[in-house]
Amino acid sequence: MSGLQLLYFLVQQMMYFSIPLLVVALGGLFCERSGIVNVALEGIMIIGAFSGVMFLHHTQDSLSGQLALLIALVIAALAGMVISLVHAYASINMKADQVISGTAINIFAPAFAIFVARMINGVQQIPFQNTFFITKVPLLGDLPFLGPLLFQNTYLTTYLGIALLILSTVVLYKTRFGLRLRACGEHPQAADSVGVNVYKMRYAGTVISGALGGIGGLIFVIPTSTNFNGTVSGYGFLALAVLIFGQWKPGRIFFAALFFGFMKTVTATYSVIPTLKDMGIPSDIYKMIPYIATLIVLAFTSKSSAAPRAEGIPYDKGQR
Amino acid sequence: MSEYIIEMNHITKEFPGIIANDDITLQLKKGEIHALLGENGAGKSTLMSVLFGLYQPEKGVIKKNGEEVKIKDPNDANALGIGMVHQHFKLVHNFTVLQNIILGVETTRGGFLKMDDARRKVMELSQQYGLRVDPDALIENITVGMQQRVEILKMLYRNNEILIFDEPTAVLTPQEIDELIKIMKGLAAEGKSILFITHKLNEIKEAADRVTVLRKGKYIGTVDVAGVTKEQMSEMMVGRKVELNVEKGPASPGDVVLETQGLTVINKDHGKKVVNGVSLQVRKGEIVCVAGIDGNGQSELVQAITGLIKADAGTIRLQGEDVSHTSIRHRNTHGMGHIPEDRHKHGLVLDYPLAYNLVLQSYFEPAFCRGGFLQYNSIYQYAEKLIGQYDIRSGQGAKTAARSMSGGNQQKAIVAREIDRNPELLIAVQPTRGLDVGAIEYIHRQIVAERDRGKGILLVSLELDEVMNLSDRILVIYEGELVADLNPNETTVQELGLYMAGSKRKEAV
Amino acid sequence: MKNNSLLARDGVQKALASVIAIFIGMLVGFAILLISNPARAVEGFIEIVIGGVSSRKNIGQVLFYATPLIMTGLSVGFAKKTGLFNIGAPGQYMVGAFAAVLVGVKCTFLPPILHCLVALIAAGLAGAVWGVVPGALKACFGINEVISCIMMNYIGASTSNLLIRRMIFDKARNQSLRPADSAVLPKLGFDKLFVDGATPSSANAGILVAVLLGVLTWVLLEKTQFGFELKACGFNRDAAKYAGISEKRSIVLAMVIAGALAGIGGGLMLLAGAGTGIAITDTPAAEGFNGIPVALLGMSNPIAIIFTGIFMAYLTVGGLSMQSVGFVPQIIDIISAVIIYFAAFVLFFSQLMSKLAKHKETSGAKTEKGGDGQ
Repeated sequence: MSGLQLLYFLVQQMMYFSIPLLVVALGGLFCERSGIVNVALEGIMIIGAFSGVMFLHHTQDSLSGQLALLIALVIAALAGMVISLVHAYASINMKADQVISGTAINIFAPAFAIFVARMINGVQQIPFQNTFFITKVPLLGDLPFLGPLLFQNTYLTTYLGIALLILSTVVLYKTRFGLRLRACGEHPQAADSVGVNVYKMRYAGTVISGALGGIGGLIFVIPTSTNFNGTVSGYGFLALAVLIFGQWKPGRIFFAALFFGFMKTVTATYSVIPTLKDMGIPSDIYKMIPYIATLIVLAFTSKSSAAPRAEGIPYDKGQR
Repeated sequence: MSEYIIEMNHITKEFPGIIANDDITLQLKKGEIHALLGENGAGKSTLMSVLFGLYQPEKGVIKKNGEEVKIKDPNDANALGIGMVHQHFKLVHNFTVLQNIILGVETTRGGFLKMDDARRKVMELSQQYGLRVDPDALIENITVGMQQRVEILKMLYRNNEILIFDEPTAVLTPQEIDELIKIMKGLAAEGKSILFITHKLNEIKEAADRVTVLRKGKYIGTVDVAGVTKEQMSEMMVGRKVELNVEKGPASPGDVVLETQGLTVINKDHGKKVVNGVSLQVRKGEIVCVAGIDGNGQSELVQAITGLIKADAGTIRLQGEDVSHTSIRHRNTHGMGHIPEDRHKHGLVLDYPLAYNLVLQSYFEPAFCRGGFLQYNSIYQYAEKLIGQYDIRSGQGAKTAARSMSGGNQQKAIVAREIDRNPELLIAVQPTRGLDVGAIEYIHRQIVAERDRGKGILLVSLELDEVMNLSDRILVIYEGELVADLNPNETTVQELGLYMAGSKRKEAV
Repeated sequence: MKNNSLLARDGVQKALASVIAIFIGMLVGFAILLISNPARAVEGFIEIVIGGVSSRKNIGQVLFYATPLIMTGLSVGFAKKTGLFNIGAPGQYMVGAFAAVLVGVKCTFLPPILHCLVALIAAGLAGAVWGVVPGALKACFGINEVISCIMMNYIGASTSNLLIRRMIFDKARNQSLRPADSAVLPKLGFDKLFVDGATPSSANAGILVAVLLGVLTWVLLEKTQFGFELKACGFNRDAAKYAGISEKRSIVLAMVIAGALAGIGGGLMLLAGAGTGIAITDTPAAEGFNGIPVALLGMSNPIAIIFTGIFMAYLTVGGLSMQSVGFVPQIIDIISAVIIYFAAFVLFFSQLMSKLAKHKETSGAKTEKGGDGQ
């Protein structure tokens, strides 16, 4: 493999890992910016992946290609929204401990996915035919350098992820909704005092995280596997780390997702990369680097943490 | 059309066991600056909360331009053109000035924020009223003074015509206060009506047209500021009668037990010196009282002396030993007792039984702890002793969770604990807050008894009666500085009021 | 005075709250059984309920499964008493398991009982190291322990995998080597007592260790100076500071002990002589997460946690017997998820109840004068 080919290969691979992290972390961003801690991302991803794959599995004889993928993504988003409502209800209406509620969802999701898969299909793995792989994007794929780098051996979901990034940034910073959402995460009393409905905004943030989490679950499974086995391998927690590493800002989250995705790529492919293979660093080291990096970032930014100030604190209208 | 833009007629607001507002009437003319004066607990905030829709009164009506209105929540208040600058600003720290102003009333085009129009309007208002702000600065990067101007712009942006300022000068520097008063006058000249809650007489004299005075939840009167002196206002605020009486003989002060030199505490949020170069002495056998209106640095002063917060400058000597940098435990075990201001926050572990709370600073001593194991028998015996001796009443004696005790008995428990540890210096901060007369008398007696046993007492109180009755020496604190050292026998409540309100000052010795 | 009944009610209230959560969980479980196979739902439900006690072997299995759950429950509960949420029990459990197996495999020069003890101590130490990181980060930098614990879980999984591959790898099975027999916890005749025909249960001395540690934890919390300080910090950090207790020291030590408890849990599981090593996995141990409901239901009381640990194990064994009727075991996980979810509500409910009760009381007491700031 030449150096350039290696670069193409790494970037293509990296996108498979980075994009789902990006999308899920963006989901977490909406939720936490509204003031609700979301450790349930892992569970939401599982539910989304499960619903999407289940749909693909049962329709693959009649439906294939990008249309099937798009429908599956919508289904994954809807499923994620439903489960996130459970979290929202506990966190917002019942003022429950948001970490406990999230933990409950994380335990529930894989059990539910496997249970339903076994009930319907008899086995817990749900296989699907991958008819979504794009060898080369027409026109763009022929560009020199950029073509093979970004538009070959890819999935539609990569571009969807980038689109979601842009959309999220715009919504968060350029719209009334985004302004109000962020106010609720920082200073809900201030938002309330100017007539913003804090509960409603927090519901919105949580449900958006459900949709993006669900989508993220499916687009994680599709490039990296041929079946769904009731797990997303801790990607929900990794996405949480991406969110923190990205300091709750979309642009930085993008780079954090690329970095984390790159580490994952190295873990998955280092045996075919001669230089890395020669270095002889075990894959487990690459696996833990993102988490260690997150801890270090946390320690260094603790004095000026960008975490939403009201995050995790139930809002009580009575206590203005 | 009515003469008044807002009338609050015969407002009565009760809370369980206390009448916070008792038949209070407040009438605000269009275009005037109307001050609302009263001591802590006089009912000013309750009254404003009623106007702003946070509380519903039991009796009385609110009228706007002569017509009765119902204000059920702050949104109703906003709709009626009533805006409020809260004492604690309601600003999002990482939003820009402009974003904070438009939040809740954003203009959009095709779903996107349309900031240009908002910016233009804000800049116009800023020009018109002399409210200098940088629309693109983040709140966390601007001064408290500018934050306050943002709050004012928020009201103007919403076209509010009745502006409530809740203790607006508490966090400002003198220069900023001057500027604020200028701004308020400008607003009034433009036809806005202003309600100005304060207890600083100088500011009223300078800014207000009329003043309404409340005392202990009751309406005292409304007068034209031009027609009264500060002394008269002070008298209206504090009253004449001293209700409680404590029997105590003359003090016979001995050695110095506590001495601070240039003690300074800087507030981390706004960088202001909340305690500013305080030097004081407490001798054995005397009660030194720090008097002042709430929020003038007395809490921070005590927290610095007891070690709960770090002093930024100055020294603290306890019985001659420099304890400025020692731990809380060191101070606790070397002669300092502390009845804290907030018994629920600092004074008690509410979920612990009474017995544990009675040994909160001494559980590790050999009497109660052997080889790392707590000696429950001795702890409970000791607790029973204190309960009997200090008449602490609780449902299940020493086993009662502190949470389920009445406020008076919780305070008695703290007093018992602190006195029984036999400290040479007893610091008591508002020891009788929220208690009934019986409990107040009891605690006063205990404090005097301690003094007579030769202990030094540093008392912080907001209650003038308490200050006048109990102290052997009064230090007045204003804006973090000691502004007077008075002998209670040679001063009057009125004079004290003038010092506390910052309109009189003599350098402390 | 009415405080008596109030207090009693508070305790009863919380216990009742746990019971309600369990009840809702079981109800949901039954509903799921009904949906998946109405004909055999009742049969399946009965299996869940009686499976744990249906035979002597199953009782033994309950004790076997309860061991790690009690330990991680104690870990979570202990941290909770100091006001911390130790969601890092899975990572602490994994490194504990690794340390125990490492000693179990390598230190064969030790005599039987001592070998086992040393392995458990190693497990505790490893868990403690994993606990001290979030504790120190919280004490020094004020970092939320939930986030750092989650990171430590994955770092723990990878570290354990890495070291297993380096030091004690069984390539053929893709898992760690098994600890030597001398390191295995003694059976203490449990294999004879809890037996079903020829197949003994996996019950062993581990359960006794767990119960003993539960009692010790209780003693530590309730009887010692140290426990007094920890709980004071957990209940009211400001008052603890006022009393001269070092809050930072308490946070770090609480996490060290919580980590050690979870680590020993991992050790006890792997030294149980069930004939397996540590599987290579990137997923933090479920036993760790399951400590959360155990602690929640046990209201963080170590003695109660012993029982709620046994209860959750009993559900697990019930779930296994339910499989014989043709249901999938994940139903049990769903039930425990539902129990956790409602346990979170229950906190709110009992708080609301005590608030209401207190409100009534203070309003009664306020005839004194009121304005009591509560």
